[in-house]
Amino acid sequence: MSIYSTGKNIISLFYALEKAVQVYDLRNDVVTGTAKKFGHILRTLLNIYPQVELVRYREYVFFNKQRLRFEIDGYASLQFIHDKMKQLRIRSLIILPGINEEELILLCLALKKNRDEFPSEFNAKRFAYVRIEYTDAEEETPDFLADGQRVKRIYFKALKVTKNLMNNLWKNQSVDVKSSKRVVHSLVNALSQDEFGLLALTAIKNFDEYTYNHSLNVGILALALAQRIGFSKKSLAKIGTAGILHDIGKVSIPRDLIYKPTRLSEQEWDILKHHSEYGVKQIIKTRGLDETGITSLIVAYQHHWNYDFSGYPFHGKETLQSTFAKIVRICDSYDAMTTARIYQPVPYIPSIAIRVIWKLSGQCFDPLLAKVFIQLLGLYPIGSCLEMSDSFVGLVIGQNEGYPTQPTVKIVATMQKDSIDGPIIDLSVDKGHKIIRAVYPQQYNINPADHLT
Amino acid sequence: MEIIVQDIIRQLIKSIKVIQLYGINHPSARQSYQPFFETLTGFLKNSGQIELAIEQYSISHDNQVIYQEREKDISIAFRLFRDGVRNIKITDGLEFDEMILFLEVMSQATREQDIALNLWECNFSHIDFYVIEEEDEDLNYELPVQEIKNIDLNAKLANIIVKEKLDMNEPIDLTLSEAELESLKTQMAHESREASLSVAISTLINFLQHDKSPEIIDSLTEMLAQCIDQHEFYNARLIVVSLNEYAKINAIDKYEKENIILDFKNFINTISDENLNQFLAFISLFSKKSLSYFIRLMPSVQRTERLEKLQDNVAYIAQSDYQPILIFLQSNNTDLIINTIAVLSRLDAEEIVGLLDPLCDYPRPEVRCSVIQAFEVFKQAARIAHFIGDEEAMVRIKAFQTLTVLNYPAIYNRLIARIKSRVFIDLELTEQKETFNCLVANGGQGLIKILKKMLFRWVLFGRKRYRITRKLAASALADINTDESRAILEQGMKKRNPTVKQACESALKQ
Repeated sequence: MSIYSTGKNIISLFYALEKAVQVYDLRNDVVTGTAKKFGHILRTLLNIYPQVELVRYREYVFFNKQRLRFEIDGYASLQFIHDKMKQLRIRSLIILPGINEEELILLCLALKKNRDEFPSEFNAKRFAYVRIEYTDAEEETPDFLADGQRVKRIYFKALKVTKNLMNNLWKNQSVDVKSSKRVVHSLVNALSQDEFGLLALTAIKNFDEYTYNHSLNVGILALALAQRIGFSKKSLAKIGTAGILHDIGKVSIPRDLIYKPTRLSEQEWDILKHHSEYGVKQIIKTRGLDETGITSLIVAYQHHWNYDFSGYPFHGKETLQSTFAKIVRICDSYDAMTTARIYQPVPYIPSIAIRVIWKLSGQCFDPLLAKVFIQLLGLYPIGSCLEMSDSFVGLVIGQNEGYPTQPTVKIVATMQKDSIDGPIIDLSVDKGHKIIRAVYPQQYNINPADHLT
Repeated sequence: MEIIVQDIIRQLIKSIKVIQLYGINHPSARQSYQPFFETLTGFLKNSGQIELAIEQYSISHDNQVIYQEREKDISIAFRLFRDGVRNIKITDGLEFDEMILFLEVMSQATREQDIALNLWECNFSHIDFYVIEEEDEDLNYELPVQEIKNIDLNAKLANIIVKEKLDMNEPIDLTLSEAELESLKTQMAHESREASLSVAISTLINFLQHDKSPEIIDSLTEMLAQCIDQHEFYNARLIVVSLNEYAKINAIDKYEKENIILDFKNFINTISDENLNQFLAFISLFSKKSLSYFIRLMPSVQRTERLEKLQDNVAYIAQSDYQPILIFLQSNNTDLIINTIAVLSRLDAEEIVGLLDPLCDYPRPEVRCSVIQAFEVFKQAARIAHFIGDEEAMVRIKAFQTLTVLNYPAIYNRLIARIKSRVFIDLELTEQKETFNCLVANGGQGLIKILKKMLFRWVLFGRKRYRITRKLAASALADINTDESRAILEQGMKKRNPTVKQACESALKQ
């Protein structure tokens, strides 16, 4: 069993024991049986590792330095443990060799206490094999995540590779397929280490480099959504590449049409719509027809198909839209709506785009995937600028799993447009602050890039 | 310890080479990686892990070089190093399937394959590896400044909300029900490689209808190879037909090779019935050029119904010109002759009968049986009648059976004479029965009387003969099943003679 699956197993047994001690008498078979199983797996692990450590950092839970993902399977247990640690301000929970069932049950009993009672309860029990470390108000980055610049470096590297790839195609020059594969590989790794860090970078839009930025952002958003619904690494590599290449057909459209500063005429739109078909040929030229190439080809062709069988290129009901294309359909629309372009100088703010996705789910978008997408980004995605009830303006810097309307915000301005370096507030915990509405950051002279990187 | 590690590496290299030569499923490959797995897991059980450092041309363990190969094309170390892999760690608990995956990746020899990426995609539980990241100095990226001037953003926001008809206070329920989760999982499960390939093929075929560019044609041709390789014959057929219809390209031509067609034996006995039908539909697109190869393939088909289906399809190919397979009628190989006869017999061409005549005296009885079967198709009862005097029982039985099916009253008198003959008693019961069946099928109005006589009166060849003839005659009367024949059997039931009574009783129970 991999460290990742072991971690998920530990979380699920921890959750089961915590639930059991809440419901049953401590001598009940359910409690003792679960504790026995939990103890057994911990002792087996402690034969290999010097300690078993659960760390919570922001919205992540790490098991022996491996980040555990919120996936469909085991979602409830991971969320419970995450929320419990967050609520009790536990930064890390360390279990040492020698752990026994009795201490595990006592630990679960202690975890029932509230934030103020827990530390004294924990100390009173004098645990021999359990250690707890608490967080301060400002969370410190764990050592193994200290290299915060890494995600940014990967993003910009990916952007460069995307740019080279498209430019070379535009110039009819050969492309470096291996680099693009490697980039997706790095993005998947980065995503599993710092999902929000990477998603935050997609929120920084670059007007001048829309085509490349958009391609990469769609790739990242698609990866995050696919990871959320449990795609394998191999499928993640496919969707990441397909997301980046979804608009590759645009290199076959005259550049002056792509960059036309005014609204496109109907005829011009018709030409532009052919990019899905051109995309197929570009993929063939660029990627060949390995598994990733085939997925990319399908996505390039189908990414403007709608859930209700409308969309272009015209298609009947006999060919079903691939899940990969459905994912890219949502991510493409979201990123396109939220990005300024020559003919759309003012984009939609992220929370409006989310509402549009919700409204059109079942029509343009697969309703289930749309739900997971909104779960992922929240109703106020990272980068959203919010007017708060206490006359301050906050910028969303993180999501709180299970609380899509209560993100973590950093106060960055006053309503009088004065820039301030305010606190970070977790709205899912700190109920004293309310969101009034989402606005354009420019209304308060805020540049999200200053705060998100 | 170094000796064991060196042995592990030696076995690893050997396994990779064998897999490259024969493929992972070949028995030689299995013979190679099975001991490798055992040695490796044995080592891991004691040591917990094995950590290998990769250098440009060598692999080291504990700072000792345990593998060195400077020839780039064959050096495992070089291939790993080239793709950035610098360290591989295998830990205790390694599973057999993991090792197979690992070996598969390691044995992919082409330069285009990125070993690091392929290893990464495998998502191993007990194999960890470190890949260096390419350092890129030129990443000075300017963060954008977002400026929007002279626009009333409040009004813009309000306009968008109105335009999109959004209710910003509408609650959004993001919970996924069990059924929704299940539906998502089902959706993902359907995203198999095969499903993607089908969609890609239908997309390209759509293209082909209006775009006959080399990219599309080459891609479809490449996909055809993939389909054949993976036994995806529905799609293979679709591609061949489409290329022919829309681009006038004969894509099947390059597959009409002896080695390719004979390789079909590797799966023809094992693929599902549905896939077999797709395969048969696919091969019906082959030309007469491939006929002789298909005849050679037939002896490998173990299941009769599959062989017959294959013969049907090959006959379909041969219908315009069967000349290429006639050569097999002169072969020394019985299987080839029999299959050729079977294919020829499926053709709507009377002249085939004449071609088969010389085989009526072929030394092997199996061949003569095949000829009878072919004559049956061409309704050549007179020719079949020739075989009831054959020296081999199996041939005679086949002839009786065939004449039972065909209506050939001219045989009647010969059958009576045969039953009356002394040799009849020495025949196997099966042949005796088939003779009577043939008699019933071809008997005239006088048959019932003859059978009655056989049942009640014949005392021609002693006790033993008498008993058997009575049984067969009673059974034949039951087969005729008319009022008259039943009345005779009921009459026999009342006879005192126990053999008559018994024969009639069991015939009536039929």
